[in-house]
Amino acid sequence: MAYHCKIAQPISMRYRLLFYGPSTIILTLLSTLIFAQAGDSLLPSSKLKKLSLEELMNIEVTSLSMQPEKLTEVASAIQVIANEDIQRSSALSLPQALELAPNLQIAQANSHSFSITARGFSGLPSSGGELSNKLLVMIDGRSIYSPLFGGVFWDVQNLMLEDLDRVEVVSGPGGTLWGANAVNGVINIQTKSARETQGLCVSQEAGMTSALQDITEMRYGGKISDNLYFRIYGQYFDQERSSPGDTVNRYNMAQGGFRMDYYPSKANTFNLQGDIYSGSENDLSNLTHTTGQNIMAHFTHHFSDQSNLTVKVYSDYTTRDVANAAKPSNYNVSTNDIDIQYRLPIGQRQSILMGAGYSYVQDMTNIQALNPENLPMPEASGFIQDEITFVPALLKLTIGSKLLHDVFTGYEVQPSARLALTPKKGHTLWASISRAVRTPSRFDEDLIEPTGQSLSPYGFVSEKVNAYELGYRLRLMENLSFSFSAFFNQYFDLRSLNSDTSKITPTLIENGQDAESWGFEFSGNYQATNWWRLRGGYTFLRKNIWATIPSVLPISPSFEGVDPENQFMLQSIMDLSKNFSLDLMGRYVGELNAIAPVSSSPTYFTLNARLAKRFTHLEFSVIGQNLLSAQHFETGNYPIHRSVYGKITYRF
Amino acid sequence: MLTIKNIRQRYLSVLLALLCSLALLSAQTPAPREYQIKAAFLFNFTQFVEWPATSFSTDKDPFIIGILGDTPFGSYLEELVSGEKVNGHRIVVQYFRDLEEIKICHILFINLSQTTRLEQVVAGLKGRTILTVSDMAGFLQAGGILRFFTKNNKILIQINPEAGKKANLVISSKLLRLSELFVPGKK
Repeated sequence: MAYHCKIAQPISMRYRLLFYGPSTIILTLLSTLIFAQAGDSLLPSSKLKKLSLEELMNIEVTSLSMQPEKLTEVASAIQVIANEDIQRSSALSLPQALELAPNLQIAQANSHSFSITARGFSGLPSSGGELSNKLLVMIDGRSIYSPLFGGVFWDVQNLMLEDLDRVEVVSGPGGTLWGANAVNGVINIQTKSARETQGLCVSQEAGMTSALQDITEMRYGGKISDNLYFRIYGQYFDQERSSPGDTVNRYNMAQGGFRMDYYPSKANTFNLQGDIYSGSENDLSNLTHTTGQNIMAHFTHHFSDQSNLTVKVYSDYTTRDVANAAKPSNYNVSTNDIDIQYRLPIGQRQSILMGAGYSYVQDMTNIQALNPENLPMPEASGFIQDEITFVPALLKLTIGSKLLHDVFTGYEVQPSARLALTPKKGHTLWASISRAVRTPSRFDEDLIEPTGQSLSPYGFVSEKVNAYELGYRLRLMENLSFSFSAFFNQYFDLRSLNSDTSKITPTLIENGQDAESWGFEFSGNYQATNWWRLRGGYTFLRKNIWATIPSVLPISPSFEGVDPENQFMLQSIMDLSKNFSLDLMGRYVGELNAIAPVSSSPTYFTLNARLAKRFTHLEFSVIGQNLLSAQHFETGNYPIHRSVYGKITYRF
Repeated sequence: MLTIKNIRQRYLSVLLALLCSLALLSAQTPAPREYQIKAAFLFNFTQFVEWPATSFSTDKDPFIIGILGDTPFGSYLEELVSGEKVNGHRIVVQYFRDLEEIKICHILFINLSQTTRLEQVVAGLKGRTILTVSDMAGFLQAGGILRFFTKNNKILIQINPEAGKKANLVISSKLLRLSELFVPGKK
């Protein structure tokens, strides 16, 4: 693997960052404390009047912020990216939108490959990018990680950002509620209901420099009766038109889908949604063709405000064909899943949430590196969680556990306990202890050599984490809130690459590593004036991986993840005048310091900008990404280029 | 010499001054959240309802949003519509104590303390091209056009299309689609 050259980072830049960050935050804090006023004036009129009828109909009346108030009381390191944060950013794809969560680590490898994780373990820095395997990612409750390697193929996770409602990003284990793979975090992507996306929205975006996308999107939402709404959408993008010679970044996709929301009565809601896509891209030197279809139904019955039953059923089928002349290969996965959740109160002080799920995953390959080539992977799980209020409005304990049965390792237990103390309104101090597992993927368990010998002859057990967290959330005023969380994680039985000289490929896969990591996350949201909002955060991470058996190869720690120690992002959302807006996002990521021959990456600081003019139904915007340098490296050997786009959106 | 420390101090003082002035600017009379949202709805209606050209005598006439009774909006509605126009007509907020005071008006938000006078008021506005809006119960039965109501902690709209037609207003299909339709005689 080749080293790419490090670009010299001016010292002044690093210095500026050092004092811009903390001093701005402290000053902001000071000045707002001085002028603190107990106002109810929380929805800036300049912002509110730009909302559509649908958006107005969706604002909670009694909540104290645009986000549900309970967010400030959640006993976990959750960050929320709201639709508006995305609309007012330079993001054109889902991974780019995720950069707006300060507690995520995102590194782009090329136009379609991203490494996305939280609290480290981003996987081997590579041009494929997608090797991080400790995050659970869901779109409207549909899990999108691949059983092939336990990570997400980000190239096929496209949706209309306009119709995205919110993205919740939990850093830290979420195994109790969510399931396996939620070792370091959960990304929960939620789209808007059909009712909230009525009318027509058409947008065309075109690149003005090389290596970028031309995106055409269209959505129409309609109403069939007073309680039945639908929307359909279609999108197409093609990177090749704008950069004909570029084989690394070649990427195109056509996708369409629908969603229907039905409200038969006050107590019942039902929705049905689905997507279908087909695309192709360059994967190293091969052309990969991808297709996928999914359909999902959701039913919720409310017995009362505190008690409800949710049933979710989905079916998902994806294919990936790699057209390598020497060895064409394909990988198809079908998933059928059913989940039931029931919430009920017991007395005044306890709320029980329980659930059961069954998923049947079956993959089919002709990759001669996997044995068996086709494998059914049924998984059953159940969980129960009890939220106990010891002292109302002061002390709450949430305990629970998940039990799952997996085809590779049998039964796995994932318990957690969270304590939340709310000494006064707007202040929440929380602590938690939890355990989560990553069940083996096909790569861990079933890889074989050309001779047919298994690469993991001793089998592979689940990777485990014990996580200890401490956090503090505070809302100083209506327009100013902060969140702080610190963590210490102990990992056991992490994957390792071991030497075995008796074989042609002298490598084995074992559970030969343990690790410890610790760090903290700080984030804030500040509505400075009715025309200016700031949000951002800083993350610090240290980790140490060591071998527990002598045969572990020195490259092993890098294979599991090379992570930046420091990371900082700040988004500024500004209304310059009635119709003009200027939105900026700066992102600083520390260097990736890998063990040779794995490629390291230097520190980088990028700036994205968006200037938009909005008319009644039309919006024109100019979007710039990575403006500070012609190119920089995030992960792997391909540079990420500066790019500029123009976009027209019509909404009616 | 311009040292880094100097730059830093200058930067900090400028930032501090900026932030302080911003914080002062943002101080304003608060209205309850519910009415802040309703104020935004009122503004939004100007784009989904068509008033006949005869409701303005000249092109320079303002577009008037009237409040009948005590205003629940504080200064929020005025702030929200300041500088805004409807088809070239500047939006102005006016406050009315009673029916007689209303000369020209395009949207009228009715906020009365006693519902008993409601039918009287609506009857008094009969035949005028005014979009009547209220959150009072029984408003649509009395012949009002648009009513706010709260469901699942969210503000929704109920429309009496017949009353809208009688007032000579064209309500866009989008607004109708998003609203609950009121059928007279049916609760």
